[in-house]
Amino acid sequence: MKHFSFLIAALTMAACPAAADLAKAVDDHILPGYAAFADSTASLRDAAAESCAPQTLKSDWNAAFDAWMGVSHLRFGPVEEEGRSVIIAFWPDERGMTPKGLSGLIADEDPIIDKPGGIKDVSVAVRGLYALEFLLYDPEFDATAPYTCTLIRAVTADLADIAADVSDAWQNGYGETLRTAGAEGNSTYLTENEGLQVLYTSLVSGLEFTANERLGRPLGTFDRPRPNRAETRRSERSLRNVALSVAALQELTDTLVDAPIPETDAAFERAAQTSAELGDPTFASVADPGARLKVEILQQKVKAAEVAVLSEVGPALGVSQGFNAGDGD
Amino acid sequence: MTTRRGFMASLLAASALPTLSWADAGNPRYLAAAREPDGGYALFGLGAEGQDTFRVPLPARGHAAASHPHKPLAVAFARRPGTYALVIDCADGHVLHHLALPEGRRFNGHGAFSAAGDVLHTSEIEAETGEGIIGLWDATRNYRRIGEFASAGIGPHEIARLPGSDDLVVANGGIRTAMDDERTKLNRDTMQPNLSYFSADGELLEQITLVPELHRNSIRHLALRADGLVAFAMQSEDDAALAPPLLGLHRRGARPVLAAAPEAQQMRMNGYAGSIAFSGDGRQVALTSPHGGVVSVFDAAGQFQEMLTRSDVSGVGTAKDGFMTTDGLGGLCRIAHDTLSPLNSAPRAWDNHLVTLPV
Repeated sequence: MKHFSFLIAALTMAACPAAADLAKAVDDHILPGYAAFADSTASLRDAAAESCAPQTLKSDWNAAFDAWMGVSHLRFGPVEEEGRSVIIAFWPDERGMTPKGLSGLIADEDPIIDKPGGIKDVSVAVRGLYALEFLLYDPEFDATAPYTCTLIRAVTADLADIAADVSDAWQNGYGETLRTAGAEGNSTYLTENEGLQVLYTSLVSGLEFTANERLGRPLGTFDRPRPNRAETRRSERSLRNVALSVAALQELTDTLVDAPIPETDAAFERAAQTSAELGDPTFASVADPGARLKVEILQQKVKAAEVAVLSEVGPALGVSQGFNAGDGD
Repeated sequence: MTTRRGFMASLLAASALPTLSWADAGNPRYLAAAREPDGGYALFGLGAEGQDTFRVPLPARGHAAASHPHKPLAVAFARRPGTYALVIDCADGHVLHHLALPEGRRFNGHGAFSAAGDVLHTSEIEAETGEGIIGLWDATRNYRRIGEFASAGIGPHEIARLPGSDDLVVANGGIRTAMDDERTKLNRDTMQPNLSYFSADGELLEQITLVPELHRNSIRHLALRADGLVAFAMQSEDDAALAPPLLGLHRRGARPVLAAAPEAQQMRMNGYAGSIAFSGDGRQVALTSPHGGVVSVFDAAGQFQEMLTRSDVSGVGTAKDGFMTTDGLGGLCRIAHDTLSPLNSAPRAWDNHLVTLPV
C-alpha cells in the first residue's frame, strides 16, 4: 500500500511535469544567499572584536542586514531549527521588548554575557540584527561603553555562529534534501510537490510580510498613522528593506519557475520601480495626509505582486498554500 | 413522528448494528477528514500503518469525529460553525442519521459518546450569543435530541469523556464570533476561556481558569490518559512574540500545569496548537502547530522534550510507540524514538484532526 501510493504520486508527476526548477532555486538563490549572510555576519563579528565605535560598525551591520534581506523570506529548514530565525530577526516587536531588555541588561551589567555562550541564555529579544540596530543607532545606548561593547561582541558572535550553522546545514545536506524532493528515501519531502510547496509558501508569505508588516505597520490607518512602527527606522533602512525584499522574492521566482509568467514579472517590476521612486527612507511621510498616498501605492504594488503570484505561479507549479497553515480552528 | 427515512434508518440500526464491531470496518485505528483533489471532502478510516480502511464522502469541510465505544460508528462533524453532524456506519460507509440541530444552534466540531455508547454529547453554540451548549442525543433511538445543558463558558470546542466514568470535560475556548461570517473574533480583550468538568446530567463538578495574563489563551483541544490526566492545547490570541505556553496538564482537584518549550523554540509554534495526543505508553504528549510546521513533544509532567518538523502538520493521534500525524500535504507520519518518519502519502489534504479509535 505504501509503495503503491508513492508510485501513484510518481506517475502523476511524470505525466504532468511541474514547470519548476528546484535545483536552480537551491543553487542560484538559497545557497548563495545564506553564504553571503554567513560571510557578512562573520565580518561584522570581526569588526566588533576590533572596535565597537558605531561609525565603523554601522557599515558592517548594514551589509549583514542587506544579506539577511536576501534570505529572510525562507522560513523553513535549518534557519527554523532551535528557533534561529526568531533570534536573527526579532521583529515586529509589538511591546518594545528589545529596548526594554537591552536597557535592563545594561543597567544591571548582567554578567551572563561574559560567560562563553552565555548570550544563548538571554531572551531572543536582545539578540540578533534588530537588537544591534538599537545598540548602534539609538541615542539611548552608547556602543563604546565597556559593558555595551561586550554585549555587542557577544551578540555579533552569536549571530555569526547562527548564520554559519545555517549556511553549513544547507551546503552539507539540506540543499540536497530539497533538490531531491520526492526521491526514494527522502523523508523530509515525500513528493517533489512538497518541495515546491515550501518555496511557494515562502514566496507568498514573504510578499505578505512586506505588504502587511514592513509597509502596513507604519501606514496604520489614515486617522492614525504609525511612523514610529517602521522597521529599522533608526538606521533609515525601512524603504531599503522593502526594495531588497521584493528583489529577493523576484529572484526566488525567477530561479524557481520554469514557465512564462508575464503578469508576475510585470508586477514585480512595478513594485521595484515604485520603491525606487519613493524617496522616503523611513516612511515618515505616512503622517502627512498628502504624501502618505505614495507609501500606500507601494503597498498596493506589493499586494498586486502577491495576487499575480497566486494566480500565475501557483498553477504553474501545481501547488497551493498550506491547507491547515493558513487556517485555524 | 417517524419519517420514512428515520424508519429505514432505525430498521438498519436495529437489524445490522448489534452484530457488527470495529473489525467489520477493517479495524481502523484512526479517523480523519480530508479535502480530496477534486475539491470534495471525505472521512477516512486509517489502519495502524496509515493505510485507508474506508472512505465516506462528506457534504462540506469536516473537522473531527466522535467514535462509538464499541460499534463501528462515527459521528463526523462539520467545521465550526457547522450545521451537519452525520452518524456514519464505518463498516459499509452509509450515513445512518443526520443530527437535526435546534434553531439558532451551531455544532462546534467535536462530540463524545457516553461509556455505554447510548448517549452522544456535542459541543454547540447559540449562534447569536456564543453561549456554549452541550447537546445530548439518544444513540439508541435514532439520535433524537433528548436534552442539553450550558457548557459554563463561551465557545465550547472539544468535549471528552473521562475514562472509566460518564463524567465529561469541556474546553470552553472563550471566543465569541461575529454573526455574519461566524468566524471573526469579537471579544479578544475580554475573553475568559475555561476547562469545565460535568457529570453526565450536566452538573458542573469543577472549573479551571487561567491566570489573568493568559486570558487570551483559548483552551480548545483535549487529550485524555487512561488514569484521567487531561492534557489541553491552547491557541493564543495574544502577541506570539510573548511565546505563551500552549500546553496544559490537569488532574481533577489539582492545579493545572502549563508548559512551554524554551523561548526561541516556543515561538516556532506561532502561538497556536492545533491538535493534541498522548503517546501509546502515556509518557509523552504531542502538540501540532500547522502554522509553524512543527510537532512539539513534552513528557507527561510538562517537561519539553523535542520539536519535530513537518510542513502543514495538524492531526496527531496515539500510536503504539509514540504518535501518528497527518498533514495538509497528504502525509501520514509516525513519531517514535525522537524521530518523525513518513508512513504514507496520499493525494489529499488531511484536515485538522486525527481521531484515535478505541482499541
